[in-house]
Amino acid sequence: MGLIAFGAGGVPDPEIANEPQTSIYTDWESVYRDNIVGIYQLAFRRVGNAADAEDLAEDVLIRTLKTLRFPAPVHNVRAYLVKTAKTVLADHWRNHYAAQNVALELEQLPPEGLAGPSSSVASDRAERVLALLPDQFRRVLELRFLKGYSVREVAHELGVTESNARVLQFRALRKAAELEGEVLG
Amino acid sequence: MTSSAVDRVAKFVDDLLQGRRPRRFKASQEEAEAMAAAAGLVAARAGADLPDKAALDRIHRRLSDRLDESPRIDSRFTRRVWLRTLGTAAAAAAVGVVLDEVLTHQSSPGPAVTEEAVLTPDGGQWRPVAAVTQIPEGHAMPVSTGSLDAIVVNDGGQISAVSGTCTHMGCKLQPDDADKRLTCPCHQTAFAWSGKVLYYRLKSAPASLPRIESRVRDGQVELFIV
Repeated sequence: MGLIAFGAGGVPDPEIANEPQTSIYTDWESVYRDNIVGIYQLAFRRVGNAADAEDLAEDVLIRTLKTLRFPAPVHNVRAYLVKTAKTVLADHWRNHYAAQNVALELEQLPPEGLAGPSSSVASDRAERVLALLPDQFRRVLELRFLKGYSVREVAHELGVTESNARVLQFRALRKAAELEGEVLG
Repeated sequence: MTSSAVDRVAKFVDDLLQGRRPRRFKASQEEAEAMAAAAGLVAARAGADLPDKAALDRIHRRLSDRLDESPRIDSRFTRRVWLRTLGTAAAAAAVGVVLDEVLTHQSSPGPAVTEEAVLTPDGGQWRPVAAVTQIPEGHAMPVSTGSLDAIVVNDGGQISAVSGTCTHMGCKLQPDDADKRLTCPCHQTAFAWSGKVLYYRLKSAPASLPRIESRVRDGQVELFIV
Protein backbone atom coordinates (compact mmCIF):
# COMPACT_ATOMS: atom_id res chain seq x y z
CA MET A 1 0.00 0.00 0.00
CA GLY A 2 1.26 3.43 -0.80
CA LEU A 3 1.84 5.69 2.12
CA ILE A 4 0.93 9.32 2.07
CA ALA A 5 2.81 11.73 -0.07
CA PHE A 6 2.45 15.31 1.03
CA GLY A 7 3.81 16.95 -2.05
CA ALA A 8 7.02 18.81 -2.58
CA GLY A 9 8.95 20.17 0.33
CA GLY A 10 8.54 17.11 2.50
CA VAL A 11 7.23 17.01 5.99
CA PRO A 12 9.05 17.79 9.19
CA ASP A 13 9.58 14.71 11.25
CA PRO A 14 8.67 15.71 14.78
CA GLU A 15 9.78 13.62 17.68
CA ILE A 16 6.79 12.19 19.32
CA ALA A 17 7.48 11.38 22.91
CA ASN A 18 4.48 9.26 23.48
CA GLU A 19 2.77 8.01 20.38
CA PRO A 20 -0.76 6.74 20.35
CA GLN A 21 -1.07 2.97 20.59
CA THR A 22 -0.39 2.39 16.96
CA SER A 23 2.10 4.17 14.74
CA ILE A 24 -0.10 3.76 11.69
CA TYR A 25 -3.52 5.26 11.18
CA THR A 26 -5.83 3.05 9.17
CA ASP A 27 -9.02 5.10 9.21
CA TRP A 28 -10.17 8.66 9.68
CA GLU A 29 -11.90 7.90 12.96
CA SER A 30 -8.62 7.25 14.71
CA VAL A 31 -7.04 10.39 13.24
CA TYR A 32 -10.03 12.29 14.58
CA ARG A 33 -9.94 10.62 17.98
CA ASP A 34 -6.25 11.21 18.61
CA ASN A 35 -5.99 14.74 17.31
CA ILE A 36 -9.22 16.67 17.44
CA VAL A 37 -8.65 18.12 20.89
CA GLY A 38 -5.09 19.18 20.08
CA ILE A 39 -6.17 20.80 16.82
CA TYR A 40 -9.05 22.58 18.54
CA GLN A 41 -6.64 23.92 21.14
CA LEU A 42 -4.20 25.17 18.51
CA ALA A 43 -7.08 26.96 16.82
CA PHE A 44 -8.55 28.34 20.02
CA ARG A 45 -5.25 29.87 21.06
CA ARG A 46 -5.14 31.81 17.81
CA VAL A 47 -8.78 32.96 17.70
CA GLY A 48 -9.85 33.02 21.35
CA ASN A 49 -13.44 31.92 20.81
CA ALA A 50 -15.16 28.58 20.66
CA ALA A 51 -17.32 29.14 17.58
CA ASP A 52 -14.38 29.96 15.32
CA ALA A 53 -12.18 27.31 16.93
CA GLU A 54 -14.80 24.66 16.19
CA ASP A 55 -15.14 25.66 12.53
CA LEU A 56 -11.39 25.90 12.06
CA ALA A 57 -10.65 22.58 13.74
CA GLU A 58 -13.19 20.93 11.47
CA ASP A 59 -11.68 22.60 8.45
CA VAL A 60 -8.17 21.44 9.37
CA LEU A 61 -9.36 17.87 9.84
CA ILE A 62 -11.38 17.76 6.66
CA ARG A 63 -8.62 19.22 4.50
CA THR A 64 -6.10 16.80 5.92
CA LEU A 65 -8.34 13.76 5.72
CA LYS A 66 -9.35 14.45 2.15
CA THR A 67 -5.70 14.36 1.14
CA LEU A 68 -4.71 11.30 3.13
CA ARG A 69 -4.51 7.78 1.90
CA PHE A 70 -4.63 5.10 4.51
CA PRO A 71 -2.70 3.47 6.05
CA ALA A 72 -0.67 6.52 7.04
CA PRO A 73 2.15 6.86 9.57
CA VAL A 74 1.06 8.71 12.69
CA HIS A 75 3.94 11.17 12.76
CA ASN A 76 3.36 12.17 9.15
CA VAL A 77 -0.32 12.72 9.72
CA ARG A 78 0.28 14.83 12.80
CA ALA A 79 2.91 16.95 11.12
CA TYR A 80 0.59 17.45 8.20
CA LEU A 81 -2.26 18.42 10.54
CA VAL A 82 -0.10 21.15 12.07
CA LYS A 83 0.98 22.36 8.66
CA THR A 84 -2.63 22.49 7.51
CA ALA A 85 -3.65 24.26 10.72
CA LYS A 86 -1.12 26.94 9.98
CA THR A 87 -2.58 27.55 6.53
CA VAL A 88 -6.16 27.48 7.75
CA LEU A 89 -5.45 29.90 10.61
CA ALA A 90 -3.49 32.29 8.40
CA ASP A 91 -6.42 32.26 5.95
CA HIS A 92 -8.80 32.97 8.80
CA TRP A 93 -6.89 36.05 9.90
CA ARG A 94 -6.51 37.24 6.34
CA ASN A 95 -10.17 36.74 5.42
CA HIS A 96 -11.69 38.05 8.64
CA TYR A 97 -9.39 40.90 9.51
CA ALA A 98 -7.30 41.51 6.37
CA ALA A 99 -4.28 40.67 8.52
CA GLN A 100 -1.29 39.47 6.55
CA ASN A 101 1.41 38.70 9.03
CA VAL A 102 -0.05 37.61 12.29
CA ALA A 103 2.55 35.49 14.03
CA LEU A 104 1.41 31.92 13.69
CA GLU A 105 4.23 29.82 14.97
CA LEU A 106 2.43 26.66 15.89
CA GLU A 107 3.77 24.21 18.39
CA GLN A 108 3.58 20.51 17.60
CA LEU A 109 0.45 18.69 18.57
CA PRO A 110 0.43 17.23 22.05
CA PRO A 111 1.01 13.53 21.65
CA GLU A 112 -1.58 12.35 24.12
CA GLY A 113 -4.56 12.60 21.86
CA LEU A 114 -7.96 12.91 23.43
CA ALA A 115 -6.63 12.52 26.92
CA GLY A 116 -4.58 15.62 26.14
CA PRO A 117 -3.44 18.35 28.44
CA SER A 118 -5.57 21.20 29.65
CA SER A 119 -4.69 24.70 28.65
CA SER A 120 -1.22 24.50 30.19
CA VAL A 121 0.57 25.56 27.01
CA ALA A 122 -1.49 28.72 26.76
CA SER A 123 -1.28 29.57 30.45
CA ASP A 124 2.47 28.97 30.69
CA ARG A 125 3.02 31.26 27.79
CA ALA A 126 0.65 33.91 29.13
CA GLU A 127 2.35 33.81 32.51
CA ARG A 128 5.75 34.38 30.98
CA VAL A 129 4.49 37.24 28.85
CA LEU A 130 2.64 38.89 31.73
CA ALA A 131 5.71 38.67 33.94
CA LEU A 132 7.70 40.68 31.40
CA LEU A 133 5.17 43.47 31.01
CA PRO A 134 5.48 46.85 32.72
CA ASP A 135 3.34 47.00 35.87
CA GLN A 136 0.38 48.98 34.61
CA PHE A 137 0.07 46.95 31.42
CA ARG A 138 0.25 43.71 33.37
CA ARG A 139 -2.40 44.93 35.76
CA VAL A 140 -4.83 45.82 32.97
CA LEU A 141 -4.45 42.45 31.29
CA GLU A 142 -4.66 40.47 34.51
CA LEU A 143 -7.82 42.25 35.58
CA ARG A 144 -9.41 41.98 32.20
CA PHE A 145 -8.42 38.48 31.07
CA LEU A 146 -7.73 36.55 34.24
CA LYS A 147 -10.22 38.15 36.60
CA GLY A 148 -12.85 38.98 33.98
CA TYR A 149 -13.24 42.66 34.88
CA SER A 150 -15.15 44.87 32.45
CA VAL A 151 -13.41 47.91 30.99
CA ARG A 152 -15.42 50.06 33.37
CA GLU A 153 -14.30 48.04 36.39
CA VAL A 154 -10.70 48.17 35.21
CA ALA A 155 -10.98 51.95 34.84
CA HIS A 156 -12.38 52.22 38.34
CA GLU A 157 -9.71 49.98 39.80
CA LEU A 158 -6.90 51.93 38.17
CA GLY A 159 -8.44 55.35 38.70
CA VAL A 160 -8.52 56.27 35.01
CA THR A 161 -11.33 57.03 32.56
CA GLU A 162 -12.90 54.24 30.57
CA SER A 163 -11.42 55.49 27.34
CA ASN A 164 -8.01 55.57 28.98
CA ALA A 165 -8.56 52.03 30.14
CA ARG A 166 -9.31 51.00 26.56
CA VAL A 167 -6.15 52.70 25.33
CA LEU A 168 -4.14 51.00 28.07
CA GLN A 169 -5.63 47.67 27.10
CA PHE A 170 -4.69 48.24 23.47
CA ARG A 171 -1.13 49.23 24.30
CA ALA A 172 -0.73 46.37 26.75
CA LEU A 173 -1.89 43.90 24.13
CA ARG A 174 0.51 45.37 21.58
CA LYS A 175 3.34 45.01 24.06
CA ALA A 176 2.25 41.49 24.92
CA ALA A 177 2.29 40.59 21.22
CA GLU A 178 5.82 41.91 20.96
CA LEU A 179 6.94 39.99 24.04
CA GLU A 180 5.22 36.85 22.88
CA GLY A 181 7.49 36.86 19.87
CA GLU A 182 10.47 37.00 22.21
CA VAL A 183 9.13 34.35 24.56
CA LEU A 184 8.54 32.01 21.66
CA GLY A 185 11.77 32.94 19.95
CA MET B 1 -2.86 54.22 16.88
CA THR B 2 -6.27 55.76 16.32
CA SER B 3 -9.21 55.85 18.65
CA SER B 4 -11.19 53.69 16.24
CA ALA B 5 -8.42 51.07 16.36
CA VAL B 6 -8.55 51.13 20.15
CA ASP B 7 -12.33 50.77 20.08
CA ARG B 8 -12.33 47.99 17.51
CA VAL B 9 -9.83 46.01 19.53
CA ALA B 10 -11.81 46.71 22.71
CA LYS B 11 -14.94 45.36 21.02
CA PHE B 12 -13.02 42.31 19.83
CA VAL B 13 -11.77 41.66 23.37
CA ASP B 14 -15.29 42.11 24.75
CA ASP B 15 -16.60 39.53 22.31
CA LEU B 16 -13.91 37.03 23.24
CA LEU B 17 -14.44 37.51 26.96
CA GLN B 18 -18.20 37.10 26.53
CA GLY B 19 -17.66 33.90 24.53
CA ARG B 20 -19.04 35.45 21.34
CA ARG B 21 -17.74 35.01 17.82
CA PRO B 22 -16.24 38.42 16.93
CA ARG B 23 -17.34 40.31 13.85
CA ARG B 24 -15.14 40.56 10.81
CA PHE B 25 -13.51 43.88 10.08
CA LYS B 26 -10.47 45.25 8.34
CA ALA B 27 -7.74 45.49 10.94
CA SER B 28 -4.41 47.24 10.71
CA GLN B 29 -1.30 45.22 11.38
CA GLU B 30 -1.00 46.57 14.91
CA GLU B 31 -4.64 45.87 15.66
CA ALA B 32 -4.28 42.31 14.40
CA GLU B 33 -1.25 41.71 16.58
CA ALA B 34 -3.06 43.04 19.64
CA MET B 35 -6.05 40.85 18.80
CA ALA B 36 -3.91 37.74 18.42
CA ALA B 37 -2.35 38.45 21.81
CA ALA B 38 -5.85 38.81 23.27
CA ALA B 39 -6.82 35.42 21.82
CA GLY B 40 -3.78 33.86 23.49
CA LEU B 41 -4.72 35.39 26.84
CA VAL B 42 -8.31 34.20 26.62
CA ALA B 43 -7.01 30.70 25.92
CA ALA B 44 -4.88 30.88 29.06
CA ARG B 45 -7.87 30.80 31.34
CA ALA B 46 -8.26 27.38 32.94
CA GLY B 47 -9.87 24.95 30.54
CA ALA B 48 -10.88 27.69 28.10
CA ASP B 49 -9.19 26.10 25.11
CA LEU B 50 -10.81 22.71 25.56
CA PRO B 51 -13.79 21.87 23.37
CA ASP B 52 -17.00 20.78 25.06
CA LYS B 53 -18.59 17.49 24.18
CA ALA B 54 -21.31 19.06 22.05
CA ALA B 55 -18.66 20.72 19.87
CA LEU B 56 -16.80 17.44 19.44
CA ASP B 57 -20.03 15.68 18.54
CA ARG B 58 -20.86 18.33 15.95
CA ILE B 59 -17.41 18.14 14.39
CA HIS B 60 -17.56 14.37 14.30
CA ARG B 61 -20.98 14.39 12.71
CA ARG B 62 -19.96 16.85 10.02
CA LEU B 63 -16.78 14.93 9.28
CA SER B 64 -18.80 11.75 8.92
CA ASP B 65 -21.15 13.45 6.51
CA ARG B 66 -18.43 14.96 4.42
CA LEU B 67 -15.87 12.19 4.38
CA ASP B 68 -18.36 9.53 3.51
CA GLU B 69 -18.53 11.00 0.03
CA SER B 70 -14.87 10.35 -0.47
CA PRO B 71 -14.19 6.85 -1.77
CA ARG B 72 -10.69 6.92 -0.26
CA ILE B 73 -11.94 6.82 3.25
CA ASP B 74 -12.97 3.70 5.04
CA SER B 75 -16.63 4.38 5.55
CA ARG B 76 -17.68 1.35 7.53
CA PHE B 77 -18.44 3.41 10.57
CA THR B 78 -19.87 6.50 9.04
CA ARG B 79 -23.32 7.68 9.65
CA ARG B 80 -24.67 7.46 6.16
CA VAL B 81 -24.15 3.74 6.07
CA TRP B 82 -25.87 3.53 9.39
CA LEU B 83 -28.73 5.57 7.95
CA ARG B 84 -28.96 3.37 4.90
CA THR B 85 -29.15 0.21 6.96
CA LEU B 86 -31.70 1.47 9.43
CA GLY B 87 -33.63 3.33 6.74
CA THR B 88 -34.10 0.20 4.67
CA ALA B 89 -35.25 -1.80 7.66
CA ALA B 90 -37.66 0.88 8.74
CA ALA B 91 -39.05 1.25 5.26
CA ALA B 92 -39.53 -2.49 4.85
CA ALA B 93 -41.35 -2.68 8.15
CA ALA B 94 -43.62 0.18 7.27
CA VAL B 95 -44.17 -0.29 3.58
CA GLY B 96 -47.90 0.36 3.86
CA VAL B 97 -47.30 3.64 5.58
CA VAL B 98 -44.79 4.64 2.96
CA LEU B 99 -47.25 3.96 0.15
CA ASP B 100 -49.92 5.96 1.93
CA GLU B 101 -47.54 8.82 2.31
CA VAL B 102 -46.58 8.75 -1.36
CA LEU B 103 -50.21 8.81 -2.45
CA THR B 104 -51.10 11.56 -0.05
CA HIS B 105 -48.33 13.73 -1.30
CA GLN B 106 -49.07 13.45 -4.99
CA SER B 107 -51.42 16.39 -4.67
CA SER B 108 -48.91 18.53 -2.84
CA PRO B 109 -47.66 21.70 -4.51
CA GLY B 110 -45.02 20.85 -7.06
CA PRO B 111 -42.05 23.15 -6.82
CA ALA B 112 -40.48 23.35 -3.42
CA VAL B 113 -40.29 27.12 -3.46
CA THR B 114 -43.94 28.00 -3.01
CA GLU B 115 -45.41 29.01 0.31
CA GLU B 116 -45.97 26.00 2.58
CA ALA B 117 -44.17 23.72 0.14
CA VAL B 118 -43.51 20.19 1.28
CA LEU B 119 -40.52 18.34 -0.06
CA THR B 120 -41.72 15.03 -1.45
CA PRO B 121 -38.85 13.36 -3.23
CA ASP B 122 -39.40 10.65 -5.85
CA GLY B 123 -38.55 7.34 -4.29
CA GLY B 124 -38.53 8.87 -0.83
CA GLN B 125 -38.35 6.67 2.22
CA TRP B 126 -38.61 7.18 5.94
CA ARG B 127 -35.07 7.42 7.15
CA PRO B 128 -33.95 7.90 10.74
CA VAL B 129 -31.72 10.92 11.17
CA ALA B 130 -31.43 11.35 14.92
CA ALA B 131 -32.56 10.00 18.24
CA VAL B 132 -35.42 12.00 19.73
CA THR B 133 -33.36 12.43 22.87
CA GLN B 134 -30.80 14.38 20.87
CA ILE B 135 -33.34 17.12 20.24
CA PRO B 136 -34.77 18.44 23.50
CA GLU B 137 -37.71 20.83 23.57
CA GLY B 138 -36.90 24.26 22.25
CA HIS B 139 -33.98 22.94 20.23
CA ALA B 140 -33.32 22.78 16.50
CA MET B 141 -30.69 20.42 15.12
CA PRO B 142 -29.16 20.42 11.65
CA VAL B 143 -28.86 16.99 10.08
CA SER B 144 -27.25 16.07 6.83
CA THR B 145 -28.30 12.95 5.02
CA GLY B 146 -26.13 12.89 1.95
CA SER B 147 -28.99 13.98 -0.30
CA LEU B 148 -30.00 17.07 1.64
CA ASP B 149 -29.45 19.24 4.68
CA ALA B 150 -32.40 19.49 6.99
CA ILE B 151 -33.13 21.03 10.34
CA VAL B 152 -35.17 19.02 12.81
CA VAL B 153 -37.06 21.12 15.32
CA ASN B 154 -38.60 20.25 18.65
CA ASP B 155 -41.15 22.96 19.34
CA GLY B 156 -42.88 22.22 22.62
CA GLY B 157 -42.56 18.47 22.13
CA GLN B 158 -43.74 18.62 18.52
CA ILE B 159 -41.12 17.38 16.07
CA SER B 160 -40.99 18.88 12.59
CA ALA B 161 -38.38 19.42 9.92
CA VAL B 162 -37.57 21.94 7.24
CA SER B 163 -34.87 22.23 4.63
CA GLY B 164 -31.59 23.43 6.13
CA THR B 165 -30.60 25.35 3.01
CA CYS B 166 -31.36 29.04 2.52
CA THR B 167 -33.76 29.56 -0.39
CA HIS B 168 -31.81 32.60 -1.53
CA MET B 169 -28.35 31.32 -2.49
CA GLY B 170 -28.10 27.95 -0.82
CA CYS B 171 -26.02 28.73 2.26
CA LYS B 172 -26.40 26.40 5.23
CA LEU B 173 -28.81 27.73 7.85
CA GLN B 174 -27.78 27.94 11.48
CA PRO B 175 -30.24 27.39 14.32
CA ASP B 176 -30.69 30.16 16.84
CA ASP B 177 -32.60 28.41 19.61
CA ALA B 178 -32.93 31.49 21.79
CA ASP B 179 -35.04 33.24 19.16
CA LYS B 180 -36.50 30.08 17.66
CA ARG B 181 -35.19 30.98 14.25
CA LEU B 182 -32.87 29.70 11.59
CA THR B 183 -30.46 32.26 10.28
CA CYS B 184 -28.49 32.39 7.08
CA PRO B 185 -24.81 33.18 7.62
CA CYS B 186 -24.52 34.70 4.13
CA HIS B 187 -27.12 37.48 4.03
CA GLN B 188 -28.70 37.48 7.49
CA THR B 189 -32.01 36.10 6.28
CA ALA B 190 -33.96 34.56 9.15
CA PHE B 191 -36.61 31.88 8.97
CA ALA B 192 -39.08 30.70 11.58
CA TRP B 193 -38.98 27.07 12.60
CA SER B 194 -42.03 26.61 10.38
CA GLY B 195 -39.96 27.69 7.38
CA LYS B 196 -41.61 31.11 7.07
CA VAL B 197 -39.36 34.06 6.29
CA LEU B 198 -39.00 36.36 9.29
CA TYR B 199 -36.36 38.78 8.14
CA TYR B 200 -34.40 39.54 5.00
CA ARG B 201 -32.25 42.27 3.57
CA LEU B 202 -32.57 41.31 -0.08
CA LYS B 203 -34.29 43.04 -2.97
CA SER B 204 -37.18 40.65 -2.80
CA ALA B 205 -38.41 38.19 -0.23
CA PRO B 206 -36.87 34.74 -0.50
CA ALA B 207 -39.20 31.73 -0.58
CA SER B 208 -40.18 29.92 2.59
CA LEU B 209 -38.21 26.82 3.47
CA PRO B 210 -39.76 23.62 2.16
CA ARG B 211 -41.05 21.47 4.96
CA ILE B 212 -39.88 17.89 5.18
CA GLU B 213 -42.24 15.21 6.36
CA SER B 214 -41.16 13.86 9.70
CA ARG B 215 -42.30 11.33 12.27
CA VAL B 216 -41.01 9.60 15.37
CA ARG B 217 -40.61 5.81 15.45
CA ASP B 218 -38.94 3.80 18.18
CA GLY B 219 -37.25 6.81 19.62
CA GLN B 220 -35.86 7.83 16.23
CA VAL B 221 -36.78 10.94 14.28
CA GLU B 222 -37.41 9.86 10.71
CA LEU B 223 -37.63 12.08 7.65
CA PHE B 224 -39.27 11.20 4.37
CA ILE B 225 -36.36 11.64 2.05
CA VAL B 226 -34.31 9.91 -0.60
